[in-house]
Amino acid sequence: MKFYTVQVEEREELGSYTLLRYRWTDGPVEPGQFVMARAAGYPATLDPFLARPFSVYDYDAKVASLLLEVRGRGTALLDLATTIEVTAPLGKGFRIDPRLGRAALLGGGIGVAPLKILGRRLDAMGVPHDVFLGFADEEPAAVAREFPGAEVATMDGSAGTHGTVLDATDSLQDYGAVYACGPNPMLAAVKLAAGENSLCQLSVEERMGCGNGSCNGCVVPVRGGGYIRSCIEGPVFHAEVLAW
Amino acid sequence: MRREQRTGVDLVVELCGLTLRTPLIPASGTLSREALGEVEDVYGAMLPKTTTPVARVGNPPPRVAETPAGMVNSIGLQNPGVESFLQDLDAFDLGVPILVSVAGDTVAEFSWLCEILSGDDRVSAVELNLSCPNVERGGLAFCAGPASVEKVVAACRAAFPGKPILAKLTNEGVVENARAAESAGADALTIMNTIPALTVDVRARKVLVRGGLSGPAIKPVALRAVHDVSGVVNVPVIGSGGVVSGTDVAEFMLAGATAVQVGTASFVRDPHEILGEFTVYLKENSLSAAELTGALRSIRPALRGGGDI
Repeated sequence: MKFYTVQVEEREELGSYTLLRYRWTDGPVEPGQFVMARAAGYPATLDPFLARPFSVYDYDAKVASLLLEVRGRGTALLDLATTIEVTAPLGKGFRIDPRLGRAALLGGGIGVAPLKILGRRLDAMGVPHDVFLGFADEEPAAVAREFPGAEVATMDGSAGTHGTVLDATDSLQDYGAVYACGPNPMLAAVKLAAGENSLCQLSVEERMGCGNGSCNGCVVPVRGGGYIRSCIEGPVFHAEVLAW
Repeated sequence: MRREQRTGVDLVVELCGLTLRTPLIPASGTLSREALGEVEDVYGAMLPKTTTPVARVGNPPPRVAETPAGMVNSIGLQNPGVESFLQDLDAFDLGVPILVSVAGDTVAEFSWLCEILSGDDRVSAVELNLSCPNVERGGLAFCAGPASVEKVVAACRAAFPGKPILAKLTNEGVVENARAAESAGADALTIMNTIPALTVDVRARKVLVRGGLSGPAIKPVALRAVHDVSGVVNVPVIGSGGVVSGTDVAEFMLAGATAVQVGTASFVRDPHEILGEFTVYLKENSLSAAELTGALRSIRPALRGGGDI
């Protein structure tokens, strides 16, 4: 896997997350695509060994950004790094059909990441949309200020609606399209709530080894049996493909 | 060849009558069709993911977990089966020999696969995956001992005439199994596969991944196995286990390997960089790749004054 060494141009704390901005001019980024990223220093440091997958948070033709949540040593080092190593954008993103009408965007926790670039694309295409964000509590919910007009829910009720992200929505079935990213139980609930009336696309969060389809580590179960890779066939899937 | 002309370094090695333009080979299960565009001019041979007689869905996730300087995987040989494998094999034609990794649950399955592949001109050799630690079904423990290794290799030898057979062995009992594979007709030995390992999720209090450990964490174990095996067999050894740099490639060849597999490292590095570093090593030492195999100095050079001991 080819990694590019880039400088972190700007770091911004958003609640319990960190937004890293870096220069990226090597080609387009589709909403929902991800990159593998790690702190610079390879191969002198072989530990942590693997890079981590991150949905691209935003991109403006020159600067790309990643939303980071420190969960372990790999993300802690990335959070401190001034130089990072990233791959080109990977995977299949959201497929947008403007004819479907109003869209609902749902994010859970760090799963809000791809909704920023997706919202920007929908705006550019003239597709009206509503954003719903769910968090554990008010601290991570602070990232919601980057999504003006978004409805917020927290599990402990410390900000916005008390409950899950779905508690902040009315009927998802009234939307022409539903786009969601978050932990698997949330995505399964969104799929159920979206029903058959909406075109529902889900961006999955899976552990990854390589990011280029080689290791078969990041698979998700598909309807009809078997598994497919979230790094190549995903990370965004049509909801009906997944066996949840 | 292009690279060789640029650098003036001879990277060519001979393996069982096959000419490899570099000693690097992808380890089975670590190079997808989608990633082939990233590896042009790096490898001396291609080696796609292990194929089995019929499709396998693989193990339920989670399948990978990071560990200190490595990772544990439990993929379960997910693959579409040999028929579909052969339909897609042309994608792996990068102008270098194609080695095909095979696995079965029984001796008959192994030899059946070899028979099918023996008639395919695109297949230069087979690698028998005798050691995958994730597959534990069937009555036969292929990696357990020399008796079963000998049985499988002998059956495959008969089913795959005229072309080389590589036997990929696990670290456990590697010297005895290597001798058994050689005596049954293996033309080369791939040493070694991942090491059985476990990761635990303390928050969920569950096993996270029970599978095989790979990456630089296992390199010294693999080097020892390559060194020990190459000292007792007459067939070439292909080193595999934790190679992430050009220096690692040189270490395996010095320890006795004729060629070296790059696996997990290709997830975290561009393999061109590994070949580039190896080329620099050869150039700095005025060596060709082929000269390096087994070229460990047997007597430690005299310590110069002030050297650390």
